[in-house]
Formats: sequence, structure tokens, C-alpha cells
Amino acid sequence: MHKFLSEGPLTAEQLSRLMSLMKDRSDTGGHSLFIGQVRADIVNNKSVTAIEYSAYESMVNDEAESIIAQIRTEFSDVKTVEILHSTGIVKAGEVSLAVMVSAGHRQQAIQACSKTVELIKERLPVWKKELLEDNSHIWRENRG
Amino acid sequence: MDVKVMFFGVLAEVTGTTFLNYTGVKTLSDLRQRITDRHPEIVHYNYRIAVNNLFTDDDCTLSDGDEVAFLPPFAGG
Repeated sequence: MHKFLSEGPLTAEQLSRLMSLMKDRSDTGGHSLFIGQVRADIVNNKSVTAIEYSAYESMVNDEAESIIAQIRTEFSDVKTVEILHSTGIVKAGEVSLAVMVSAGHRQQAIQACSKTVELIKERLPVWKKELLEDNSHIWRENRG
Repeated sequence: MDVKVMFFGVLAEVTGTTFLNYTGVKTLSDLRQRITDRHPEIVHYNYRIAVNNLFTDDDCTLSDGDEVAFLPPFAGG
């Protein structure tokens, strides 16, 4: 089974491995890569130092497969969709999400990548606890 | 009927657990009532329920070994 979750921040090696997938294909002409980074937001006058992600892994796998199937149905030129999401603690400035969409041409690669990120926020059973500088925390929800 | 109940996100914090086993539960509404009795504060939170990874409703009949997940609003990305 495809592994969509990774413990801790995504590393440069993991991102590099994603990009290296393209060398195995000759039917793609455009790749769109989205990288999500933890932002040091200010919440109640306190800085976010990290996010602790938790996930329902078996449902993440089902939903991620479903999202990929939907994208490939909606965007006929898309050849592959790769999704990698962190679990556990990811500090501000570190990377927590990577999506790479490869297509025959750039337009569908870019549009499908954007749509994939929106579907991840809407449908992937992942939760985030923002850890603040005074050791308090706040549970954050994605807005519709 | 033995079912495995899982709480995620803020609901794990509210209930103080991520996992419970319930015995003798026939329907999802029975289970919700038992969980509300045990953790009354849960009524103040929004959540959906999935049985074996599929969202469902109160009328569902549960089977032995079902996995019931209490899912607060998602926050991936």
C-alpha cells in the first residue's frame, strides 16, 4: 500500500525523492509541486512554535487514494499524484505537506495540484494542535 | 457485540483517551448514548462518525469487530 504519512517534518531527502520520480517517465511535460510549511502565526499574542499533527491512518490511506482517483478522473492529462503529509511534531519553518502532480502539460499539472491541496484540507482525517510559546496549545480547524 | 471506539484530535483530549472497547452495543445511537453518558462534555464539540472508515449516521447497526471513529473537523495541510 502507498504510504501517505510520515513521522516528523518532511526532509529535503523526501522532497528530492518525490522530484526524482519524474526521471522514470517520458510521457510528462509538466510537474507542479506544492510544499506546505508550518507558519509561526501569532495566536492570542503568542507565537506558534510548532504544530502537532495526528491522523486516522487507515482512513487517510482510503481518502488519499480516493482524492487521487478523483483528480485523475477530473484531469485527463494527469499521470501521477503524490501526497506526503507529516504526523507528530513539526516546528515552525519546517515542512509538513508535499503534493506533486505530473501531467502531460503544465496547465493541468498546476490546476490539479491546487485542487489536490484543497481536497486534502477538506477530506484527509488529519488534526493539528498548534503549540504556543508559553506551552499552551490550541486546536485548529480548516475553514471551508 | 464488541466494537472498537477511537477518538481523534480535540476529542481525544476531551475524553482523555484515544481508544476504548465497548461490549454489548447494537446500534450507533446506543453507542453514542453510552459515550455521552460517560463523557457528557462531548456534546459541546462538533464531530462526525465513521464506521470502518465510512461516514455514517445514527441508524447504523453495528457488527462485532466494527471500528467506530469520532472525528472532529479536519485540519490537514
